[in-house]
Amino acid sequence: MLPDVPSPKLERWKYTNLERALKKLNLMPAALGWGSDVKLLNPHAPGEAQYKDTQLWDLNTSHTKDIKFITSDEIIEISAKDGQWLSPRLVIHVKDGQTVTVIERQNGQGGYWKNGVAQIIVGKNAKLRHYRIIDEAEGAVSTQFIHVKIDRDGSYEGYNHIEGAGLIRNQVHAELNGENGNFSIAGLNLLRGEQHADTTITIEHKAPHCNSNQTYKSVLDGKSRCVFQGKVHVHQIAQKTDGYQLSNALILSPQAEMDTKPELEIYADDVKCSHGATTGKLDEEPLFYMRARGIPEKEARSLLITSFCAQAVDTITDEGMQTHITEKLAQWLASRT
Amino acid sequence: MIKIKNLKAEIDGKEILKGIDLEIQPGKVHAIMGPNGSGKSTLSYILAGREEYTVTGGDIELNGQSILDMAPEERAAKGVFLAFQYPVEIPGVQMTPFMKTALNSVRKARGLKELDAIDFLKLMKAKCKELGISDDMMKRAVNVGFSGGEKKRNEVLQMAMLEPKFCVLDETDSGLDIDALKIVADGVNKMRGGDKSFLVITHYQRLLDYIKPDVVHVLAGGKIVKTGGPELAHELEKTGYANVA
Repeated sequence: MLPDVPSPKLERWKYTNLERALKKLNLMPAALGWGSDVKLLNPHAPGEAQYKDTQLWDLNTSHTKDIKFITSDEIIEISAKDGQWLSPRLVIHVKDGQTVTVIERQNGQGGYWKNGVAQIIVGKNAKLRHYRIIDEAEGAVSTQFIHVKIDRDGSYEGYNHIEGAGLIRNQVHAELNGENGNFSIAGLNLLRGEQHADTTITIEHKAPHCNSNQTYKSVLDGKSRCVFQGKVHVHQIAQKTDGYQLSNALILSPQAEMDTKPELEIYADDVKCSHGATTGKLDEEPLFYMRARGIPEKEARSLLITSFCAQAVDTITDEGMQTHITEKLAQWLASRT
Repeated sequence: MIKIKNLKAEIDGKEILKGIDLEIQPGKVHAIMGPNGSGKSTLSYILAGREEYTVTGGDIELNGQSILDMAPEERAAKGVFLAFQYPVEIPGVQMTPFMKTALNSVRKARGLKELDAIDFLKLMKAKCKELGISDDMMKRAVNVGFSGGEKKRNEVLQMAMLEPKFCVLDETDSGLDIDALKIVADGVNKMRGGDKSFLVITHYQRLLDYIKPDVVHVLAGGKIVKTGGPELAHELEKTGYANVA
Protein backbone atom coordinates (compact mmCIF):
# COMPACT_ATOMS: atom_id res chain seq x y z
CA MET A 1 0.00 0.00 0.00
CA LEU A 2 1.47 3.28 -1.10
CA PRO A 3 0.79 6.42 0.89
CA ASP A 4 -0.24 9.68 -0.74
CA VAL A 5 2.78 11.53 -2.07
CA PRO A 6 3.15 14.96 -3.69
CA SER A 7 2.11 14.95 -7.34
CA PRO A 8 3.60 16.91 -10.27
CA LYS A 9 0.47 19.06 -10.17
CA LEU A 10 2.10 20.90 -7.29
CA GLU A 11 4.31 23.75 -8.50
CA ARG A 12 7.29 22.62 -6.39
CA TRP A 13 6.98 19.08 -7.77
CA LYS A 14 6.44 20.04 -11.38
CA TYR A 15 9.48 18.20 -12.74
CA THR A 16 9.51 15.14 -10.50
CA ASN A 17 6.97 12.36 -10.58
CA LEU A 18 7.45 10.52 -7.30
CA GLU A 19 4.33 8.45 -7.49
CA ARG A 20 5.27 6.91 -10.83
CA ALA A 21 8.71 5.94 -9.50
CA LEU A 22 7.29 4.42 -6.30
CA LYS A 23 4.73 2.37 -8.20
CA LYS A 24 7.52 0.36 -9.76
CA LEU A 25 8.68 -0.80 -6.33
CA ASN A 26 7.36 -3.48 -4.05
CA LEU A 27 7.76 -1.96 -0.59
CA MET A 28 7.27 -2.86 3.05
CA PRO A 29 7.84 -0.48 5.98
CA ALA A 30 11.18 -1.35 7.57
CA ALA A 31 13.63 -0.05 10.16
CA LEU A 32 17.37 0.32 10.61
CA GLY A 33 17.20 -0.55 14.28
CA TRP A 34 18.22 2.85 15.64
CA GLY A 35 15.13 2.95 17.87
CA SER A 36 12.57 5.69 18.24
CA ASP A 37 11.75 5.74 21.95
CA VAL A 38 12.39 9.45 22.11
CA LYS A 39 9.95 12.26 21.78
CA LEU A 40 10.55 14.62 18.88
CA LEU A 41 10.46 18.18 20.14
CA ASN A 42 9.48 19.62 16.77
CA PRO A 43 7.72 16.91 14.86
CA HIS A 44 6.19 19.30 12.37
CA ALA A 45 7.80 20.78 9.31
CA PRO A 46 8.77 24.37 9.93
CA GLY A 47 9.03 27.31 7.59
CA GLU A 48 6.76 29.96 6.19
CA ALA A 49 3.30 28.77 5.28
CA GLN A 50 3.93 29.18 1.56
CA TYR A 51 6.77 26.65 1.67
CA LYS A 52 4.93 24.12 3.74
CA ASP A 53 5.58 21.34 1.30
CA THR A 54 5.21 19.00 4.24
CA GLN A 55 3.61 15.81 3.02
CA LEU A 56 6.81 13.78 3.03
CA TRP A 57 8.02 15.30 6.29
CA ASP A 58 4.76 14.34 8.00
CA LEU A 59 4.95 10.89 6.48
CA ASN A 60 8.41 10.50 7.98
CA THR A 61 7.13 11.71 11.36
CA SER A 62 4.29 9.18 11.41
CA HIS A 63 6.40 6.26 10.21
CA THR A 64 9.85 6.75 11.66
CA LYS A 65 11.26 3.96 13.77
CA ASP A 66 14.80 5.28 13.47
CA ILE A 67 15.73 8.50 15.20
CA LYS A 68 19.29 9.57 15.83
CA PHE A 69 20.43 12.56 17.88
CA ILE A 70 23.77 14.02 16.96
CA THR A 71 25.61 16.68 18.95
CA SER A 72 29.24 15.94 18.05
CA ASP A 73 31.37 14.71 15.12
CA GLU A 74 29.83 11.65 13.57
CA ILE A 75 29.87 9.48 10.47
CA ILE A 76 26.49 7.93 9.71
CA GLU A 77 25.87 5.30 7.11
CA ILE A 78 22.32 4.67 6.02
CA SER A 79 22.10 1.50 3.95
CA ALA A 80 18.86 0.09 2.63
CA LYS A 81 17.98 -3.37 1.38
CA ASP A 82 15.75 -4.46 -1.44
CA GLY A 83 12.04 -3.87 -0.77
CA GLN A 84 12.53 -1.65 2.28
CA TRP A 85 10.65 1.56 2.95
CA LEU A 86 12.79 3.38 5.47
CA SER A 87 11.97 6.58 7.33
CA PRO A 88 15.18 7.61 9.08
CA ARG A 89 15.26 10.83 11.10
CA LEU A 90 18.39 12.74 12.05
CA VAL A 91 18.32 15.48 14.64
CA ILE A 92 21.57 17.42 14.61
CA HIS A 93 22.10 20.05 17.27
CA VAL A 94 25.30 22.05 17.29
CA LYS A 95 25.39 23.84 20.62
CA ASP A 96 26.47 27.47 20.98
CA GLY A 97 30.11 28.02 20.15
CA GLN A 98 30.80 24.47 18.98
CA THR A 99 32.08 23.15 15.66
CA VAL A 100 30.82 19.80 14.46
CA THR A 101 31.38 17.74 11.31
CA VAL A 102 28.75 15.24 10.26
CA ILE A 103 29.37 12.92 7.34
CA GLU A 104 26.37 11.13 5.95
CA ARG A 105 26.70 8.20 3.56
CA GLN A 106 23.57 7.02 1.84
CA ASN A 107 23.59 3.78 -0.12
CA GLY A 108 21.80 0.47 -0.53
CA GLN A 109 20.95 -2.45 -2.74
CA GLY A 110 18.02 -3.25 -4.97
CA GLY A 111 14.73 -1.37 -5.12
CA TYR A 112 13.84 0.58 -1.98
CA TRP A 113 12.54 3.90 -0.78
CA LYS A 114 14.21 6.11 1.77
CA ASN A 115 12.10 8.95 3.02
CA GLY A 116 14.55 10.73 5.25
CA VAL A 117 14.36 13.88 7.35
CA ALA A 118 17.17 15.80 8.98
CA GLN A 119 16.33 18.51 11.50
CA ILE A 120 19.31 20.71 12.14
CA ILE A 121 19.89 23.47 14.65
CA VAL A 122 23.09 25.51 14.49
CA GLY A 123 23.49 27.51 17.71
CA LYS A 124 24.99 30.92 18.33
CA ASN A 125 28.49 31.21 16.95
CA ALA A 126 28.42 27.50 16.15
CA LYS A 127 29.44 25.77 12.95
CA LEU A 128 28.25 22.63 11.24
CA ARG A 129 30.00 20.95 8.35
CA HIS A 130 27.50 18.59 6.81
CA TYR A 131 28.89 16.39 4.05
CA ARG A 132 26.46 14.04 2.37
CA ILE A 133 27.55 11.37 -0.08
CA ILE A 134 24.50 9.96 -1.75
CA ASP A 135 25.26 6.92 -3.80
CA GLU A 136 22.01 5.01 -3.81
CA ALA A 137 21.21 1.94 -5.91
CA GLU A 138 19.97 2.43 -9.45
CA GLY A 139 16.57 0.98 -8.61
CA ALA A 140 16.11 3.11 -5.51
CA VAL A 141 13.95 6.11 -4.72
CA SER A 142 15.29 8.57 -2.21
CA THR A 143 13.43 11.57 -0.84
CA GLN A 144 15.40 13.69 1.57
CA PHE A 145 14.16 16.68 3.51
CA ILE A 146 16.65 18.78 5.39
CA HIS A 147 15.69 21.68 7.56
CA VAL A 148 18.34 23.97 9.03
CA LYS A 149 17.88 26.73 11.57
CA ILE A 150 20.83 29.02 12.08
CA ASP A 151 21.20 31.31 15.05
CA ARG A 152 23.25 34.50 15.43
CA ASP A 153 26.84 34.17 14.06
CA GLY A 154 26.13 30.53 13.26
CA SER A 155 27.38 28.89 10.12
CA TYR A 156 26.31 25.88 8.05
CA GLU A 157 28.53 24.42 5.36
CA GLY A 158 26.76 21.76 3.34
CA TYR A 159 28.04 19.64 0.49
CA ASN A 160 25.82 17.16 -1.34
CA HIS A 161 27.48 14.62 -3.58
CA ILE A 162 24.80 12.89 -5.60
CA GLU A 163 25.60 9.92 -7.86
CA GLY A 164 22.31 8.06 -7.45
CA ALA A 165 19.51 6.88 -7.02
CA GLY A 166 17.09 6.06 -9.79
CA LEU A 167 15.11 8.99 -8.51
CA ILE A 168 16.15 11.40 -5.82
CA ARG A 169 14.54 14.49 -4.41
CA ASN A 170 16.88 16.43 -2.18
CA GLN A 171 14.89 19.15 -0.51
CA VAL A 172 16.61 21.70 1.69
CA HIS A 173 15.03 24.47 3.70
CA ALA A 174 17.20 26.88 5.64
CA GLU A 175 16.26 29.68 7.99
CA LEU A 176 18.77 32.33 8.95
CA ASN A 177 17.25 33.51 12.22
CA GLY A 178 19.99 35.64 13.79
CA GLU A 179 22.37 38.35 12.60
CA ASN A 180 25.61 37.38 10.81
CA GLY A 181 24.44 33.89 10.06
CA ASN A 182 25.93 32.05 7.14
CA PHE A 183 24.40 29.30 5.03
CA SER A 184 26.48 27.76 2.31
CA ILE A 185 25.46 24.75 0.28
CA ALA A 186 27.22 23.18 -2.66
CA GLY A 187 26.82 20.00 -4.59
CA LEU A 188 27.57 17.85 -7.56
CA ASN A 189 24.99 15.88 -9.46
CA LEU A 190 26.72 13.16 -11.47
CA LEU A 191 24.02 11.42 -13.44
CA ARG A 192 23.83 8.78 -16.13
CA GLY A 193 21.42 6.19 -17.51
CA GLU A 194 17.87 7.13 -16.66
CA GLN A 195 18.62 8.72 -13.32
CA HIS A 196 16.55 11.62 -12.09
CA ALA A 197 17.87 14.03 -9.46
CA ASP A 198 15.88 16.94 -8.10
CA THR A 199 17.46 19.52 -5.81
CA THR A 200 14.99 21.97 -4.34
CA ILE A 201 16.42 24.58 -2.00
CA THR A 202 14.65 27.32 -0.10
CA ILE A 203 16.62 29.81 1.95
CA GLU A 204 14.83 32.27 4.17
CA HIS A 205 16.74 35.31 5.35
CA LYS A 206 14.93 36.33 8.53
CA ALA A 207 17.61 38.53 10.12
CA PRO A 208 19.93 41.29 8.88
CA HIS A 209 23.56 40.83 7.81
CA CYS A 210 23.34 37.18 6.80
CA ASN A 211 24.98 35.45 3.84
CA SER A 212 23.77 32.55 1.79
CA ASN A 213 25.53 30.81 -1.03
CA GLN A 214 24.50 27.98 -3.35
CA THR A 215 27.05 26.45 -5.73
CA TYR A 216 25.73 23.58 -7.81
CA LYS A 217 27.33 21.75 -10.72
CA SER A 218 25.54 19.03 -12.61
CA VAL A 219 26.98 16.64 -15.17
CA LEU A 220 24.38 14.77 -17.19
CA ASP A 221 25.03 11.76 -19.35
CA GLY A 222 22.73 9.23 -21.04
CA LYS A 223 19.04 9.95 -20.64
CA SER A 224 19.37 11.43 -17.18
CA ARG A 225 17.36 14.35 -15.97
CA CYS A 226 18.33 16.92 -13.39
CA VAL A 227 16.20 19.53 -11.66
CA PHE A 228 17.49 22.51 -9.74
CA GLN A 229 15.04 24.80 -8.01
CA GLY A 230 16.67 27.36 -5.77
CA LYS A 231 14.80 30.05 -3.95
CA VAL A 232 16.10 32.86 -1.80
CA HIS A 233 13.42 34.61 0.26
CA VAL A 234 14.58 37.81 1.94
CA HIS A 235 12.18 38.99 4.63
CA GLN A 236 11.64 42.69 5.19
CA ILE A 237 13.76 42.76 8.33
CA ALA A 238 16.74 41.11 6.62
CA GLN A 239 18.62 44.21 5.46
CA LYS A 240 22.21 43.81 4.22
CA THR A 241 21.52 40.29 3.05
CA ASP A 242 24.10 38.85 0.67
CA GLY A 243 22.70 35.96 -1.32
CA TYR A 244 24.16 34.17 -4.28
CA GLN A 245 23.01 31.19 -6.24
CA LEU A 246 24.85 29.38 -9.00
CA SER A 247 23.68 26.39 -11.00
CA ASN A 248 25.77 25.21 -13.94
CA ALA A 249 24.89 22.13 -15.90
CA LEU A 250 26.97 20.25 -18.42
CA ILE A 251 25.05 18.10 -20.86
CA LEU A 252 27.14 15.24 -22.26
CA SER A 253 24.39 13.53 -24.21
CA PRO A 254 21.65 14.91 -26.46
CA GLN A 255 19.04 12.91 -24.55
CA ALA A 256 19.82 14.35 -21.12
CA GLU A 257 17.69 17.14 -19.72
CA MET A 258 18.22 19.93 -17.22
CA ASP A 259 15.46 22.00 -15.66
CA THR A 260 16.58 25.02 -13.70
CA LYS A 261 14.36 27.40 -11.80
CA PRO A 262 16.14 30.12 -9.87
CA GLU A 263 13.92 32.38 -7.80
CA LEU A 264 14.51 35.46 -5.72
CA GLU A 265 11.82 36.90 -3.50
CA ILE A 266 12.98 40.07 -1.81
CA TYR A 267 11.09 42.28 0.64
CA ALA A 268 14.01 44.27 2.03
CA ASP A 269 15.46 47.23 0.14
CA ASP A 270 19.15 47.11 1.02
CA VAL A 271 20.31 43.69 -0.11
CA LYS A 272 22.70 42.08 -2.57
CA CYS A 273 21.19 39.04 -4.25
CA SER A 274 21.95 37.44 -7.56
CA HIS A 275 21.88 34.17 -9.38
CA GLY A 276 23.53 32.57 -12.35
CA ALA A 277 22.27 29.56 -14.23
CA THR A 278 23.78 27.97 -17.31
CA THR A 279 23.22 24.77 -19.24
CA GLY A 280 25.61 23.83 -22.00
CA LYS A 281 27.76 21.29 -23.74
CA LEU A 282 31.49 20.77 -23.41
CA ASP A 283 33.33 23.42 -25.36
CA GLU A 284 34.91 22.01 -28.54
CA GLU A 285 37.79 24.53 -28.71
CA PRO A 286 39.61 23.47 -25.51
CA LEU A 287 38.91 19.85 -26.39
CA PHE A 288 40.67 20.16 -29.76
CA TYR A 289 43.51 22.15 -28.20
CA MET A 290 44.17 19.42 -25.66
CA ARG A 291 43.94 16.64 -28.23
CA ALA A 292 46.32 18.52 -30.52
CA ARG A 293 48.78 18.32 -27.60
CA GLY A 294 48.45 14.56 -27.51
CA ILE A 295 45.89 14.15 -24.72
CA PRO A 296 43.44 11.36 -25.66
CA GLU A 297 39.86 12.50 -26.11
CA LYS A 298 38.43 10.74 -23.07
CA GLU A 299 41.11 12.12 -20.81
CA ALA A 300 40.69 15.61 -22.27
CA ARG A 301 36.97 15.42 -21.56
CA SER A 302 37.63 14.24 -18.02
CA LEU A 303 40.03 17.11 -17.38
CA LEU A 304 37.46 19.61 -18.63
CA ILE A 305 34.64 18.06 -16.56
CA THR A 306 36.84 18.02 -13.46
CA SER A 307 37.58 21.70 -13.90
CA PHE A 308 33.88 22.37 -14.45
CA CYS A 309 33.12 20.75 -11.09
CA ALA A 310 35.99 22.38 -9.19
CA GLN A 311 34.05 25.40 -7.98
CA ALA A 312 31.63 23.19 -6.03
CA VAL A 313 34.31 20.83 -4.71
CA ASP A 314 36.46 23.79 -3.62
CA THR A 315 33.78 24.92 -1.15
CA ILE A 316 34.59 21.90 1.05
CA THR A 317 36.79 23.27 3.85
CA ASP A 318 37.76 19.87 5.24
CA GLU A 319 40.87 18.87 3.31
CA GLY A 320 40.41 15.12 3.69
CA MET A 321 36.83 15.31 2.49
CA GLN A 322 37.82 17.48 -0.47
CA THR A 323 40.41 14.89 -1.51
CA HIS A 324 37.86 12.11 -1.09
CA ILE A 325 35.31 13.91 -3.28
CA THR A 326 37.97 14.64 -5.92
CA GLU A 327 38.69 10.89 -6.01
CA LYS A 328 35.00 10.02 -6.21
CA LEU A 329 34.66 12.35 -9.18
CA ALA A 330 37.70 10.82 -10.90
CA GLN A 331 36.23 7.33 -10.39
CA TRP A 332 32.90 8.41 -11.83
CA LEU A 333 34.66 9.89 -14.87
CA ALA A 334 36.83 6.81 -15.35
CA SER A 335 33.76 4.58 -15.38
CA ARG A 336 32.19 6.55 -18.23
CA THR A 337 32.06 4.58 -21.44
CA MET B 1 59.65 14.40 -43.86
CA ILE B 2 56.17 15.75 -44.53
CA LYS B 3 54.47 15.27 -47.87
CA ILE B 4 51.19 16.92 -48.79
CA LYS B 5 49.76 15.51 -52.00
CA ASN B 6 47.00 17.20 -53.99
CA LEU B 7 45.14 18.00 -50.75
CA LYS B 8 41.54 19.13 -51.18
CA ALA B 9 39.23 20.06 -48.33
CA GLU B 10 35.94 21.72 -47.60
CA ILE B 11 33.86 22.96 -44.71
CA ASP B 12 30.05 23.16 -44.81
CA GLY B 13 30.13 22.21 -48.49
CA LYS B 14 32.45 25.06 -49.40
CA GLU B 15 35.74 24.06 -51.01
CA ILE B 16 38.65 25.82 -49.32
CA LEU B 17 41.72 23.86 -50.37
CA LYS B 18 41.81 23.06 -54.07
CA GLY B 19 44.78 20.75 -54.46
CA ILE B 20 47.87 21.55 -52.42
CA ASP B 21 51.22 19.92 -53.06
CA LEU B 22 54.02 20.49 -50.61
CA GLU B 23 57.07 18.57 -49.46
CA ILE B 24 59.26 19.57 -46.55
CA GLN B 25 62.55 17.77 -45.98
CA PRO B 26 63.79 17.10 -42.43
CA GLY B 27 65.53 20.14 -40.94
CA LYS B 28 63.96 22.58 -43.39
CA VAL B 29 61.77 25.61 -42.72
CA HIS B 30 59.10 26.45 -45.26
CA ALA B 31 56.90 29.50 -45.10
CA ILE B 32 53.42 29.85 -46.51
CA MET B 33 52.32 33.40 -47.16
CA GLY B 34 48.98 34.47 -48.47
CA PRO B 35 46.18 36.97 -48.25
CA ASN B 36 43.25 36.59 -45.85
CA GLY B 37 40.85 33.87 -46.89
CA SER B 38 43.40 32.02 -48.99
CA GLY B 39 43.07 28.87 -46.85
CA LYS B 40 46.14 29.28 -44.61
CA SER B 41 44.42 28.56 -41.31
CA THR B 42 42.32 25.80 -42.84
CA LEU B 43 45.52 24.07 -43.91
CA SER B 44 46.98 24.28 -40.41
CA TYR B 45 43.80 22.90 -38.81
CA ILE B 46 43.62 20.05 -41.29
CA LEU B 47 47.23 19.12 -40.63
CA ALA B 48 46.44 18.94 -36.89
CA GLY B 49 43.29 16.87 -37.48
CA ARG B 50 40.42 19.21 -36.75
CA GLU B 51 37.22 17.26 -37.41
CA GLU B 52 35.02 20.10 -38.72
CA TYR B 53 36.85 20.01 -42.05
CA THR B 54 36.28 17.31 -44.62
CA VAL B 55 39.22 16.19 -46.70
CA THR B 56 37.80 15.42 -50.14
CA GLY B 57 40.98 14.35 -51.88
CA GLY B 58 44.72 13.86 -51.66
CA ASP B 59 46.86 12.75 -48.74
CA ILE B 60 49.18 13.90 -45.97
CA GLU B 61 52.16 11.68 -45.19
CA LEU B 62 54.53 11.98 -42.27
CA ASN B 63 57.68 9.90 -42.81
CA GLY B 64 55.93 7.76 -45.37
CA GLN B 65 52.79 7.11 -43.31
CA SER B 66 49.41 8.68 -44.06
CA ILE B 67 48.05 10.61 -41.09
CA LEU B 68 44.67 11.49 -42.62
CA ASP B 69 42.73 8.87 -40.66
CA MET B 70 44.44 9.66 -37.38
CA ALA B 71 42.78 11.50 -34.49
CA PRO B 72 44.47 14.75 -33.39
CA GLU B 73 46.06 13.02 -30.37
CA GLU B 74 47.50 10.24 -32.56
CA ARG B 75 49.02 12.84 -34.88
CA ALA B 76 50.54 14.61 -31.89
CA ALA B 77 52.05 11.33 -30.77
CA LYS B 78 53.47 10.81 -34.27
CA GLY B 79 55.10 14.21 -34.04
CA VAL B 80 52.72 16.78 -35.53
CA PHE B 81 52.56 20.02 -33.56
CA LEU B 82 50.34 23.01 -34.29
CA ALA B 83 51.18 26.31 -32.62
CA PHE B 84 47.77 27.97 -32.57
CA GLN B 85 47.09 31.44 -33.91
CA TYR B 86 44.73 31.90 -30.96
CA PRO B 87 45.82 29.59 -28.11
CA VAL B 88 42.73 28.46 -26.22
CA GLU B 89 42.07 29.50 -22.62
CA ILE B 90 41.07 26.59 -20.40
CA PRO B 91 39.86 27.91 -17.03
CA GLY B 92 40.29 25.50 -14.14
CA VAL B 93 42.93 23.33 -15.85
CA GLN B 94 46.37 24.21 -14.49
CA MET B 95 49.39 24.37 -16.80
CA THR B 96 51.49 21.81 -14.92
CA PRO B 97 49.00 18.89 -14.91
CA PHE B 98 47.96 19.81 -18.46
CA MET B 99 51.55 19.72 -19.71
CA LYS B 100 52.37 16.58 -17.74
CA THR B 101 49.31 14.75 -19.07
CA ALA B 102 50.16 15.84 -22.63
CA LEU B 103 53.81 14.85 -22.38
CA ASN B 104 53.11 11.49 -20.77
CA SER B 105 50.37 10.76 -23.31
CA VAL B 106 52.75 11.23 -26.24
CA ARG B 107 55.57 9.40 -24.42
CA LYS B 108 53.29 6.46 -23.78
CA ALA B 109 52.18 6.39 -27.42
CA ARG B 110 55.82 6.54 -28.51
CA GLY B 111 56.70 3.60 -26.27
CA LEU B 112 58.72 5.70 -23.83
CA LYS B 113 58.58 5.58 -20.05
CA GLU B 114 56.17 8.10 -18.51
CA LEU B 115 57.83 10.76 -16.36
CA ASP B 116 57.10 11.05 -12.65
CA ALA B 117 56.37 14.41 -11.06
CA ILE B 118 59.99 15.13 -10.18
CA ASP B 119 61.50 14.27 -13.55
CA PHE B 120 58.74 16.19 -15.26
CA LEU B 121 59.39 19.36 -13.25
CA LYS B 122 63.12 19.08 -13.89
CA LEU B 123 62.56 18.82 -17.63
CA MET B 124 60.09 21.67 -17.65
CA LYS B 125 62.38 23.97 -15.69
CA ALA B 126 65.25 23.16 -18.03
CA LYS B 127 63.13 23.92 -21.11
CA CYS B 128 61.83 27.18 -19.61
CA LYS B 129 65.40 28.24 -18.88
CA GLU B 130 66.63 27.28 -22.34
CA LEU B 131 63.87 29.34 -23.97
CA GLY B 132 64.09 32.28 -21.57
CA ILE B 133 60.55 31.73 -20.30
CA SER B 134 59.59 32.35 -16.68
CA ASP B 135 58.24 29.16 -15.11
CA ASP B 136 55.64 31.21 -13.19
CA MET B 137 53.45 30.53 -16.19
CA MET B 138 53.26 26.88 -15.17
CA LYS B 139 51.43 27.76 -11.97
CA ARG B 140 48.47 29.30 -13.82
CA ALA B 141 45.45 27.93 -15.65
CA VAL B 142 46.15 27.15 -19.32
CA ASN B 143 46.40 30.48 -21.20
CA VAL B 144 43.95 32.16 -18.80
CA GLY B 145 44.84 35.80 -18.32
CA PHE B 146 48.02 35.36 -20.40
CA SER B 147 49.10 38.35 -22.49
CA GLY B 148 49.38 37.86 -26.26
CA GLY B 149 53.14 37.36 -25.89
CA GLU B 150 52.79 34.89 -23.03
CA LYS B 151 50.31 32.80 -25.00
CA LYS B 152 52.71 32.48 -27.92
CA ARG B 153 55.67 31.75 -25.65
CA ASN B 154 53.54 29.06 -24.06
CA GLU B 155 53.03 27.53 -27.50
CA VAL B 156 56.79 27.48 -28.09
CA LEU B 157 57.37 25.92 -24.67
CA GLN B 158 54.84 23.18 -25.40
CA MET B 159 56.52 22.62 -28.75
CA ALA B 160 59.87 22.18 -27.03
CA MET B 161 58.44 19.81 -24.43
CA LEU B 162 56.61 17.52 -26.85
CA GLU B 163 59.57 17.09 -29.24
CA PRO B 164 57.61 17.04 -32.48
CA LYS B 165 58.90 16.09 -35.92
CA PHE B 166 56.76 18.53 -37.86
CA CYS B 167 55.75 21.93 -36.49
CA VAL B 168 53.11 24.19 -37.96
CA LEU B 169 53.16 27.78 -36.76
CA ASP B 170 49.86 29.42 -37.59
CA GLU B 171 50.18 33.22 -37.75
CA THR B 172 52.44 33.15 -34.74
CA ASP B 173 53.23 36.83 -35.27
CA SER B 174 49.64 38.02 -34.91
CA GLY B 175 49.17 40.17 -31.83
CA LEU B 176 52.86 40.30 -30.95
CA ASP B 177 55.08 43.30 -30.45
CA ILE B 178 58.69 43.12 -31.67
CA ASP B 179 60.14 42.04 -28.30
CA ALA B 180 57.70 39.17 -27.92
CA LEU B 181 58.22 38.25 -31.55
CA LYS B 182 61.98 37.98 -30.99
CA ILE B 183 61.58 35.67 -27.99
CA VAL B 184 59.24 33.42 -29.92
CA ALA B 185 61.49 33.42 -33.01
CA ASP B 186 64.56 32.66 -30.87
CA GLY B 187 62.72 29.69 -29.40
CA VAL B 188 61.89 28.34 -32.82
CA ASN B 189 65.42 28.95 -34.11
CA LYS B 190 66.87 26.98 -31.18
CA MET B 191 64.78 24.00 -32.24
CA ARG B 192 65.71 24.22 -35.90
CA GLY B 193 67.99 21.76 -37.55
CA GLY B 194 68.13 18.10 -36.71
CA ASP B 195 65.26 16.20 -38.27
CA LYS B 196 62.46 18.67 -37.46
CA SER B 197 60.49 20.23 -40.30
CA PHE B 198 58.73 23.56 -39.90
CA LEU B 199 55.86 25.16 -41.71
CA VAL B 200 55.51 28.84 -40.85
CA ILE B 201 52.21 30.34 -41.90
CA THR B 202 52.04 34.11 -41.99
CA HIS B 203 50.39 37.06 -43.63
CA TYR B 204 53.34 39.41 -43.18
CA GLN B 205 56.97 39.16 -44.10
CA ARG B 206 58.00 40.60 -40.71
CA LEU B 207 58.12 37.24 -38.92
CA LEU B 208 60.38 35.85 -41.66
CA ASP B 209 63.05 38.41 -40.78
CA TYR B 210 63.43 36.52 -37.51
CA ILE B 211 62.68 32.98 -38.62
CA LYS B 212 64.52 32.73 -41.91
CA PRO B 213 62.77 30.23 -44.19
CA ASP B 214 64.50 27.97 -46.69
CA VAL B 215 61.54 28.03 -49.06
CA VAL B 216 58.59 30.43 -49.42
CA HIS B 217 55.25 29.48 -50.94
CA VAL B 218 52.38 31.76 -51.81
CA LEU B 219 48.91 30.42 -51.13
CA ALA B 220 45.99 32.05 -52.91
CA GLY B 221 42.49 30.79 -53.61
CA GLY B 222 43.21 27.43 -51.99
CA LYS B 223 46.25 26.65 -54.15
CA ILE B 224 49.98 27.27 -54.04
CA VAL B 225 50.51 29.78 -56.83
CA LYS B 226 54.20 30.55 -56.44
CA THR B 227 57.27 29.03 -54.80
CA GLY B 228 60.68 30.59 -54.32
CA GLY B 229 63.52 31.41 -51.93
CA PRO B 230 63.45 33.88 -49.00
CA GLU B 231 63.62 36.76 -51.48
CA LEU B 232 60.03 35.99 -52.51
CA ALA B 233 58.83 37.22 -49.11
CA HIS B 234 60.49 40.59 -49.64
CA GLU B 235 59.09 40.85 -53.12
CA LEU B 236 55.58 40.27 -51.76
CA GLU B 237 56.11 42.90 -49.09
CA LYS B 238 56.77 45.44 -51.85
CA THR B 239 54.22 44.45 -54.44
CA GLY B 240 51.44 42.94 -52.30
CA TYR B 241 49.45 39.83 -53.08
CA ALA B 242 47.52 41.35 -55.97
CA ASN B 243 50.14 40.39 -58.54
CA VAL B 244 50.40 36.73 -57.57
CA ALA B 245 46.85 35.84 -56.64
